[in-house]
Amino acid sequence: MLNTYLTIVLAPLIGSIVVGLAGNRLGRTLSHSITILGVTISTVLSLYVFNHHVLNEGEIFNQNIYTWIQIGGLNISFGFLVDNLTSVMLVVVSFVSLMVHIYTIGYMHEDEGYTKFFSYISLFTFAMFTLVMSNNFMQLFFGWEAVGLVSYLLIGFWHHKESAIEANLKAFIVNRVGDFGFLLGIALVLMFFGTLDYAETFSQKDQIIGLTLFGDFSAITVICLLLFVGAMGKSAQVPLHVWLPGSMEGPTPISALIHAATMVTAGIFMVSRMSPLFELSDVALTVVMVIGAITALFMGLLGIVQNDIKKVVAYSTLSQLGYMTVALGVSAYSVAIFHLMTHAFFKALLFLAAGSVIVALHHEQDIRKMGGLRKKMPITYITSLLGTLALIGFPGFAGFYSKDMIIEAVHYSELPFSGWVYFAVVLGVFITAFYSMRLLFLVFHGESRVDKHTEEHLHETAPSITVPLILLAIPSVVIGYFTIDPMLFGGWLDNGIYIDTSHESVAKLKHHFHSAFSLISHSVMTLPFWMMIGGIATAWLFSLYRTEWADVIQRRFKRINYVLVSLYGFDRFNEIIFVRGALKLGNLLWKISDMAIIDQLLVNGSARFARFVGSFIRPVQTGYVYHYAFFMIISLMLVLGWVLVASDYSFYS
Amino acid sequence: MIALSDYLILSSIVFCIGLAGIFINRTNIIMLLMCVELILAAVNTNFIAFSYFSGDLAGQIFVFFILTVAAAEVAIGLAILTLMFRSRGSIDIDVTNTLKG
Amino acid sequence: MEFTSVLFYIFSFFFVTSAVMMITARNTAKAALLLILTFFSAACLWLLLEAEFLAITLILIYVGAVMVLFMFVIKMLDTDKSTLRAQFTRYLPLGIFVSIVVIAQMVLVLNAGQFDLEVIGVPERHDASYSNITAIAEQLYTVYVYPFELAAILLLIAIIAAITLVHRNQPRSKKQNISEQVNVQAKDRIRFASIKPKSSKESK
Repeated sequence: MLNTYLTIVLAPLIGSIVVGLAGNRLGRTLSHSITILGVTISTVLSLYVFNHHVLNEGEIFNQNIYTWIQIGGLNISFGFLVDNLTSVMLVVVSFVSLMVHIYTIGYMHEDEGYTKFFSYISLFTFAMFTLVMSNNFMQLFFGWEAVGLVSYLLIGFWHHKESAIEANLKAFIVNRVGDFGFLLGIALVLMFFGTLDYAETFSQKDQIIGLTLFGDFSAITVICLLLFVGAMGKSAQVPLHVWLPGSMEGPTPISALIHAATMVTAGIFMVSRMSPLFELSDVALTVVMVIGAITALFMGLLGIVQNDIKKVVAYSTLSQLGYMTVALGVSAYSVAIFHLMTHAFFKALLFLAAGSVIVALHHEQDIRKMGGLRKKMPITYITSLLGTLALIGFPGFAGFYSKDMIIEAVHYSELPFSGWVYFAVVLGVFITAFYSMRLLFLVFHGESRVDKHTEEHLHETAPSITVPLILLAIPSVVIGYFTIDPMLFGGWLDNGIYIDTSHESVAKLKHHFHSAFSLISHSVMTLPFWMMIGGIATAWLFSLYRTEWADVIQRRFKRINYVLVSLYGFDRFNEIIFVRGALKLGNLLWKISDMAIIDQLLVNGSARFARFVGSFIRPVQTGYVYHYAFFMIISLMLVLGWVLVASDYSFYS
Repeated sequence: MIALSDYLILSSIVFCIGLAGIFINRTNIIMLLMCVELILAAVNTNFIAFSYFSGDLAGQIFVFFILTVAAAEVAIGLAILTLMFRSRGSIDIDVTNTLKG
Repeated sequence: MEFTSVLFYIFSFFFVTSAVMMITARNTAKAALLLILTFFSAACLWLLLEAEFLAITLILIYVGAVMVLFMFVIKMLDTDKSTLRAQFTRYLPLGIFVSIVVIAQMVLVLNAGQFDLEVIGVPERHDASYSNITAIAEQLYTVYVYPFELAAILLLIAIIAAITLVHRNQPRSKKQNISEQVNVQAKDRIRFASIKPKSSKESK
């Protein structure tokens, strides 16, 4: 099995390196064939691994492949930990990556950097595999940083665009802040557990229960909070969410791959992987839950006022990540992974569909200039409809199951603030339905507001774009129905996730669960369902029925509108405090510390001091020989006298 | 009987006379050189006294070499003096302060 | 009082007195002559100390060559008397003070008893067949032959240095500077002048 795992990890890497170095000479067709072949191999083998581990209940594979650093008693190596959690992630990542690779053939068709793009997304796939399959913190961090790097490269892919460069810097720097906390958390793990290996850490977890750090702070809480800071950066939770909307500057395929399905879910995966540690700290779990709820609710609100098609989907992603985080907070890790999986499919689908629309309209992204596209682009429309229904939680579709399970889990949770969180996630259902259907209506329904010239050439996009849409639509519809029972309650993820008995959300969920079908039939009686209907109705009202009412409300509620449009002021805050603060600090250090202290005081000052001392000593050299002779003779006299006196006249024995 | 200490005191007296000569005649370079010769004479006497009283000929050998070196030094010192006189016209030491710091 | 002691006192008297007179001499030539007297007294003292070779060497070489050189230079150069006398008395007290202090210090040490007759006895007098030259030569050419050779080279260097410093005549050889010769250009050597020829009528 080791060779299988190695092949899964290395196939995309080899593809990436070959195409990256020799892409121009190989030509476009050969380049994309090589990389797609690599990712296809990984996908097939991932399915095989999934079959082996999950369906056939294979043993957990935990082995160090290569010792990287050995310092004293600390052994940092490169190794694989493959259990059911890993298998699920492998399947999700490889499948979505494959779809994106195929999609890119059509989307980046006219771009100059065609081969470079394929190389990057294969490299990303490799990094994500490394992250998911690692068995120690250091390799996890390596994968973490590597996906951050490739994200930076891809966001700024069109590097001649000023806004793209600003966005990729912002993404990297904000990620860096998260990584800083993450690294502190890893350091604390090393300090308290003495090892960076998962298995060894988790086996010692009971020893840390009573330990404290810096006085009264519980050590395990601090560790978990710091690790979560890393997850906040990578999975874009408030306040480290500011980079995700900016990352839409990159080409749409990567928005789908990285910023919807895989990289941003790394944080969720990491917290699930660390479930033995998080379970020991209720404080950390509460914090996780609350931050997730804040993100879910407030980012959803922002999706309502966006006019760029990709930005709407981006804020939707932020909101759904908030949902996943909430699930983590209430110790429903398997539910979070379930939602991660379903979200990967339908969100990637939505992004790719948005890309299809963009390409068809010759790179027009403003939804106010779209409309009525469903007649001209039927495949895109139908797949978008399916994806949207999955997103808003329409009964029967994948998102319905995962979202409902989250809401139920929150309902059963006993953590503090869980009441408020329940309110937030339920309200979030309304908001999600509102902005998603608004998007659908404004883009595909209603009168066409498309530019006349573009409308003449409007037609459905190439098969290389639409086939991935269809292939992603299928799981968006069905996968929820088939996997909810085994994944949440059938123990699929049991050997990767640990839940403490004091956190009973999942147990209660299991208690109340009958079957997937019964969930559909009972859905009519639940609050989230009516929230969703309300959202659909409101969206229809403002987008199709009386569109002018939307403008009226915008004018009447200017203040709220302003708050939403300026994204709650996070960017402004960051700019004023951190950016200008850093500039001022740099200025201060330059003027005072560098110029005044180091240059004037130390460097020039020591020269001036030497000259000053010299001005006293120089006159001793008079130039007259007899002065020198006098000095010698008088010194002789003094030395003789001193020797005589100091020896206490002992020669008079 | 003349003890070693008598010779040593004698030589130290002449040494100090030479030192005083340097103090007194500091402007006249020739006088300076001659006072240095006086000092060397005193030191030589010292060496030979020690050599005699300890029976070791090393002192006399050393005096031999001192004489050699002193002769060479005088030769060169006077050559420099001649040059100085040629270029400045007097041997007044007050004008030779160009190495002033 | 032994005869040698009397001799010691006589010679040492001359030694010291001529030294004092030398340093207070008004005339540089007189000072040189007094220095010669000092050296003579020193040589006699050395004879008392059975260093015959060195005593004679002192007279032959030091007085005979070095002091003669001094006299040459003194007479050659015109020493201005006024500058000699100008600052004579200015540092005199300080000089006397320093000398007396140093003498006092030395006497304190030397009289302390380490060098008395009881500690370091009078050595045996050699008999008439003792040859100081042979004894020195035995040491000089075996144990100290290396410094001896070096001393010879030192003297050679002194000769060359002294001659080089004072040699006045510039070498009058006609030497070429090759690089200058090679870099010469026609315009350095030839100047074309345009001269109108006189008319044939006037040249007749």
